[in-house]
Amino acid sequence: MLTVRGLSKIYGDRTDTAAGGVREFSFELPPGTFFTLLGPSGCGKTTTLRCIAGLERPDTGHIAIGDTVLHDSIAGHSVPLNRRGIGMVFQSYAIWPHMTVFENIAFPLRVSKDHRYAREDISRMVADALQTVGLAGYGDRPATRLSGGQQQRVALARAIVHKPRLLLLDEPLSNLDAALREEMRIELRRLQQQIGLTTVYVTHDQSEALAMSDQIAVMELGRVAQMGDPRTIYFRPASEFVASFIGAANLLRGTALAPAAAGASGSVHLDNGVIVTCLFARAATAGQEVTLSLRPESVALSPVSDRPGPGLNSLEGTVTAESFLGGSARYDVVTGGRLLRVSVPSEIAIAIGAAVRLTFPRDAAVVVG
Amino acid sequence: MNFSAIDARVIIAIVLGVLLTGLMVPPLWILILDSLTTTDAMGDITGWTASHFGKLLTDKRAAISLWNSLVFATGSTVLSLLTGGVLAWLVERTNAPLKILAYVVSIISLGTPYVLHVIAWLFLLGKVGPLNDIYRQITGSTGILFNVNSMTGMILIEGFLWSPLVFLLLGSTFRAANADMEEAARMSGASVLDTIRRVTLPLAMPSLLALAMFVFIRAIGGFEVPALVGMPGRIYVLTTDVYESTVSVPPDLGHAAAFSIVMVIVVGILLAFYGRLSKNAERYHSITGKGYRPRPFDLGRGRWIAGGLILFNFVVVLLLPLLTLAWMSFLPFLRAISLAGFASLTTKNYKAVFTAHGYVDLAINSLTVAAAAATVIMAIAALAGWIAGRNGPGGRILDQLATLSLVFPGICLGVAVMEVWLRIPLPIYGTLWIIAIAYVIRFMPFGMRYVYAGVLQLHKELEEAAGVAGGSTLTIMRRIVAPLLTPALVAGWLFIFLIANKELAIAVLLASPKSQVIAVAIFDQWVNGQGGELAAFGLLWTVLMTAIATLFFAATRRGGVDVHGN
Repeated sequence: MLTVRGLSKIYGDRTDTAAGGVREFSFELPPGTFFTLLGPSGCGKTTTLRCIAGLERPDTGHIAIGDTVLHDSIAGHSVPLNRRGIGMVFQSYAIWPHMTVFENIAFPLRVSKDHRYAREDISRMVADALQTVGLAGYGDRPATRLSGGQQQRVALARAIVHKPRLLLLDEPLSNLDAALREEMRIELRRLQQQIGLTTVYVTHDQSEALAMSDQIAVMELGRVAQMGDPRTIYFRPASEFVASFIGAANLLRGTALAPAAAGASGSVHLDNGVIVTCLFARAATAGQEVTLSLRPESVALSPVSDRPGPGLNSLEGTVTAESFLGGSARYDVVTGGRLLRVSVPSEIAIAIGAAVRLTFPRDAAVVVG
Repeated sequence: MNFSAIDARVIIAIVLGVLLTGLMVPPLWILILDSLTTTDAMGDITGWTASHFGKLLTDKRAAISLWNSLVFATGSTVLSLLTGGVLAWLVERTNAPLKILAYVVSIISLGTPYVLHVIAWLFLLGKVGPLNDIYRQITGSTGILFNVNSMTGMILIEGFLWSPLVFLLLGSTFRAANADMEEAARMSGASVLDTIRRVTLPLAMPSLLALAMFVFIRAIGGFEVPALVGMPGRIYVLTTDVYESTVSVPPDLGHAAAFSIVMVIVVGILLAFYGRLSKNAERYHSITGKGYRPRPFDLGRGRWIAGGLILFNFVVVLLLPLLTLAWMSFLPFLRAISLAGFASLTTKNYKAVFTAHGYVDLAINSLTVAAAAATVIMAIAALAGWIAGRNGPGGRILDQLATLSLVFPGICLGVAVMEVWLRIPLPIYGTLWIIAIAYVIRFMPFGMRYVYAGVLQLHKELEEAAGVAGGSTLTIMRRIVAPLLTPALVAGWLFIFLIANKELAIAVLLASPKSQVIAVAIFDQWVNGQGGELAAFGLLWTVLMTAIATLFFAATRRGGVDVHGN
């Protein structure tokens, strides 16, 4: 179990800017969790990872794996990075070009201070690791003769060969091309579940985070904007930032008609004149200006003559643009002078200029601010 | 590309080819000729002979010179690599304090003539210098602790001369290295020492070897230290042997030429190795992450020891020699550093520099020749480097012609150029022109490197876009290539200007009393025992050159040009 409490590491000036760093970050991960730190560059995700790794020294905070305290700024205790027993994959893979694949992977075993490995143990463990990442038989290859995807796998094998208690992945897919990235995403998740290794993953790619994680922490300017499982993050964004960073959300402005508690349903008078019922992610008073997040694919399009089903919000509008994307189609619809982006199955075809009815479930719209 | 465009490049290539052949080939040819012929008193060829080479094989002195050269070059290479390498690692890859001092050393060293440094060291370590002086006062003996005119003294001084350059070149290697490589080792459980031993050093090894080869080649051809330190102690190396047989009366040019040919061959072979090694070094260039920024090693308390090393280097390589020169410059005659000495301090040497005729002329001469040579080189190199960098017509040949002179140690080139222009019936010999021509031949390869590297950094599509837009070859060169190459051209010009004013070896045989340049004048004055004035003049000169060296550093930083220079 990984515990992080009150972790702060601030660079340069101490104002809330994108200068980097992390403030007062706390979380606890049950064993085997795939945990993703997600956010734009400078949000503090890499800093957090590097503090756990021991590559940076936190200003304050407590980091522990199970009963082993890795860092505690109050006790002034810090385990050196090479004694933490953590596996890490770097963004650039950092495969040493002067060694073979075998030597790269065997390195953690050879330099181990806690345990002397016998020669046959090393061969066996490296072979196991190669097998695990699907590179069996590649041991003798010079590291300079590997493709990007293979380097990635070698880096992963090197990170897990000494059976670490924690695996850290720093944007490991960002240097791969799109098709390979897709493949490695599935592969990485499968491997992690197979080994059951607690993993902290850093990325700025929201689709990676959604596809792979058990838990996601969305970070903004060094602080956690929201922490939760992928579905919650996607469908119940806690703030405007989270809503717009994860997927293409429509953000609608309006005023609350009646006071609403966080988590309750309520009505909002949108600034295009329509009243909709929606979910309040945060509490609001009557008359308060609010922002709603509405996912493009939560909205259904139908001829304006169709009667809306029961329990659905309904708006009328005009299609102004269409783009066919293969698996889906995207429409820009203007309703009451406001633009709404809608994503529907691609077999639905609507002409530009057509009047349409937009419907969406009451809990699909979330008040995020 | 249209026909006229191809024509323009072909014409330029042919003109450059003829020009470069005329510059580069005759010196080599004349050395071969001289080494294989006998001449009469007028210098006319009287017959063919192999005796010059035969003498090298049988003459014991020749064998000793060769051996000394090897020891000298090896020793100084190891010393400079060790000091410069450790310094570069500390400055680029750790959080050691006082890093700025290492750069100050490099910048000022780049502007100071070698011969001036050597003189300062000779005094520091010499018989009346502070080292032996302190030794005598402590022990009460009348002898000396250290004889500077020895192989050890030569290696020590040459090693210090090269360490700032090693620092600069290795610094860029360490800067470009991917810090993830070291961090990955640390995360794998390796200690700092394990990381250095198993990752940092092996990764830097190809660059280190290439650089070692480079320094070795330069040390083999080095002249200042062997001449000023070695010759008074009767220790001869190849370069001083060539020099002696050229200036002796009567000159033994056959011997000098034969020895030069031997050195050219040795250097040629070493250069071929060097080319292989630097290609190897590129193989280790690794992918870097997008968010990459170099992160220095935390040395903990060790950083103050590291800072101490940087300070020590600063004091030993720069401050002590400069202070020594300052001391010499304020004395009426050369004497040990003492209280009595302080009483006799005078500014008369500085007054002499500004009033006595000669010094100002000398400075103007040096600056003019260096500026002229740098301008001609960059003009030729801009065109040749562009054609070579774009694989244009005859690009490879142009590149090889322009870099041919790398095989000449400075002194050998001096002999060769002297011989060429003694035989050509133009009144060039004995004027500043001949020095300028020798500089152009000598430093052309550096100009080429700068332009070539600059061209490779320019995306070819920038030119193609201009071509598609309707620009002719000449228009593209004038409007696209020239402006974008300007930073590389400026950096190359400044670099050549600086080293031309620094080196003694080429000009020492070509300068006449009426056509002196700085390095030669300092050398002559030292030999004649005029220490004070030359120190005062040298210091003022150093200030001027440091200003230009600072410009150079600013230009390279901005232009992003980073080449294995001098």
